[in-house]
Amino acid sequence: MMESILAGIALALTWESILAVIAGVVAGQLLGAIPGLTATMTVALLIPYTYYLDPWVGVPMLLGMFKGSLFGSSVTAILVKTPGTPAAAATVMDGYPLAQQGKGEKACKMALYSSVFGDSFSDIVLIFGASFLAAIALNFGPAEYTLLVAFSLMTMGFISGARIWKGIFAMLLGMLLGIVGLDPITATPRLTMGFLELEEGIGLIPMLIGFLAVAEVLRQMELPRKQLATSTVSFSDDPADRRVSWLEFRGVLPTLLKSSSLGTAVGALPGISATVAAFLAYNEARRTSKTPEKFGKGALEGVAAPESANNAVSGANLVPMMAFGIPGDIAAALILSALLIQGITPGPVIFRDNPEPIFAIFTALLLANLVNLVLGHGLIRIARRVVTVPKRVLFPVVIVIAAAGAYAMRGSLFDVQLVVVFGLLGWGLTKLAFPTVPLLIGFILMPILESNLRISMLIAGSVPNPLAYFFGRPAFVTLMAVMTLLLILVLRRIFRDRQAARAAGMRGG
Amino acid sequence: MFDRLVKGALALTLTAGIAAAQEYPSEPITLIVPYSPGGNGDITSRFIADQASEIMGVKFVVENRAGGGAFIGINSCANSDPDGYTICFISTSPITVRPHVIEAPYNPAEDLTYLGQFLLSKQPIIVRNDGKFNNLDEVIAYAKDKPGQLRWSAAVPRGGPHLATEAMFRAEGAQTTFLPSKGGAVELANLLAGTIDLAVISDYGPALDNGEIKIIGETSPGPNPQAPDAPNLSALGYPLELASFFGLAAPAGLPAEVTAAWDDTLKQISESAEFAQLMERIKTEGAYLNSADFTAQVMADYEAMGKATTEFGLAE
Repeated sequence: MMESILAGIALALTWESILAVIAGVVAGQLLGAIPGLTATMTVALLIPYTYYLDPWVGVPMLLGMFKGSLFGSSVTAILVKTPGTPAAAATVMDGYPLAQQGKGEKACKMALYSSVFGDSFSDIVLIFGASFLAAIALNFGPAEYTLLVAFSLMTMGFISGARIWKGIFAMLLGMLLGIVGLDPITATPRLTMGFLELEEGIGLIPMLIGFLAVAEVLRQMELPRKQLATSTVSFSDDPADRRVSWLEFRGVLPTLLKSSSLGTAVGALPGISATVAAFLAYNEARRTSKTPEKFGKGALEGVAAPESANNAVSGANLVPMMAFGIPGDIAAALILSALLIQGITPGPVIFRDNPEPIFAIFTALLLANLVNLVLGHGLIRIARRVVTVPKRVLFPVVIVIAAAGAYAMRGSLFDVQLVVVFGLLGWGLTKLAFPTVPLLIGFILMPILESNLRISMLIAGSVPNPLAYFFGRPAFVTLMAVMTLLLILVLRRIFRDRQAARAAGMRGG
Repeated sequence: MFDRLVKGALALTLTAGIAAAQEYPSEPITLIVPYSPGGNGDITSRFIADQASEIMGVKFVVENRAGGGAFIGINSCANSDPDGYTICFISTSPITVRPHVIEAPYNPAEDLTYLGQFLLSKQPIIVRNDGKFNNLDEVIAYAKDKPGQLRWSAAVPRGGPHLATEAMFRAEGAQTTFLPSKGGAVELANLLAGTIDLAVISDYGPALDNGEIKIIGETSPGPNPQAPDAPNLSALGYPLELASFFGLAAPAGLPAEVTAAWDDTLKQISESAEFAQLMERIKTEGAYLNSADFTAQVMADYEAMGKATTEFGLAE
């Protein structure tokens, strides 16, 4: 065991992969800090290029990109009141007031420390939790996987939009798109409309690039011109406003711990987004604060809570991905697709038989946190210039990168056309106020749900007494009980918060 | 765009090449990989391109054209000019197996020239080492005794190993439940967890050394070095046995000097130390076959598969 841990660490600590992490973090931070480029969009845009690299250059770069872009997104939330990613929306509430007071640098640094804290916290939970869950998952069969995925889809549909029916509609549409391709059992083409290119299903990357990048560019191009020009804030010269003192850090430490735990717990449940976690953590911090009246006017806790929570989600999201091979989130799905392309299949078996890649990924994650922390200071210094990149330069560049990336995937112009189609579809759905995330999660999880459900049905046909078979499985019964309980708890919590948020006159999640 | 540039450049240099009637190869060669970047097929293709470039002294352009279960990339290769400047990477499934089961845009028996094989992987039939089954006879006796209750799977649904095993069951008149899968790693987990009782997969890591699983048969020709005693399906008199190969192909109607040049090049590559290292890395064994032998093997497998498909209704 020790041997493979060391071998894994060694894989991720070659100079190539350290450089790759640094390059990934730099690219992620810069792109994330450009308003209009969200974190997942950044990763989706850049991921096709990592496929051409060696596994232990491509994967660490991707992880670095992912973490860097999350922090970059918060910088825009604070400095120009435009969250770089929906997950940073809660950061605006206290980050922007701080920036207006000239304390933009302090707020950014607080966000940086909180992000790295939340990241490291959930990464450590991931390292121990995933190994533990993977050991349990060795007893899982198709029936248990069906339950897991069905549970994710259920929570997802309920919590992702302002209106539940719109969330569920989007999710079902995504699931419909997810069944395009050859039938997993009979291998007959379904909904391929005669395109040979669609027989392996709609590609995840063209879909994500279309929905996240092209649709977003189209949406923003519609905004009135004055909103396209971003104004920026000035930084105060007082050194106390430019750093986070040890005393201040110690003051927010309880908030950090609480929010990170909350984010990790929420993130480990598949289907719940970082945005929800950030608002939950923000509300929780305000509820338990001794000075709740300061929230919304520039409280440091108001930056620390959502930032540590949304970053904690991203690490915890990798738990189900690593332990079961089920991505709980879009970012996790992207990382999973990159790992699969590189010949690494996450899931219970790899932990037991071939854990080197797993430990290499863990090492790269922790390394990325460190690099993020160091380079974050640099980004804050140049942030004011980065956040004002003119949209007329940015949008054409994004479209070009999107098209080139879709082509680079597998040398198919068909995929570029898909990007355009999904870009238009995504734009249309956003205009009608349908949420995109449930659609994408539905698309990602549908094939897993379908094949496991149908395999379970085949198993049911092969045993003398199907009910006795399924309910005779300890894993099945335990999972059923745990998930029913969780579902009740989560829904109660979400509805309570939603009501509280509505009462407070703002819309969460 | 890039694609068109390359093609334009190729067309231009090509006409010049014909005019000068130079020896093959004198221009850059495009190697089409019908799979996405990454993965063993892509890795070996890029390796072959690098090595062949050194030996032949021309540049190689590796182009990934994935999709349609490799049909798209191989079809574009089959439809290009048979001049030796567009070749493609091929593996078992889109050549000898799937065209019988799903309509393919090309005819493997007529539209391609087979340049050579450089790798052959073993596809063993494995069971849990818990005493339930000790050999294929016991498996078949169980399947006949309890129709439909034997659950099994293979790494690639409708791949050669799956259909060879299916043909065995059908030849015995045994009814089984095949669970389609998403790859060898998942199936190994399912086998160990008892979801299935038998798996045809080639990557089983330390589970064999740990004594958790046992190899009881081999669906491809030749002995399996990991289990020399496991019988081959053909030795037991079963109808289908398919080689699991990696090789190169080109459009049909290729000049003889081109196939000769590739015979030579692939032989050199397969004997190099770098090739041995690569085989070590992707945990497979190299197996060189020249164009003539490879073509014979492909044709034999293609016909055997066609016969088994109609005889045992494997397409359903």
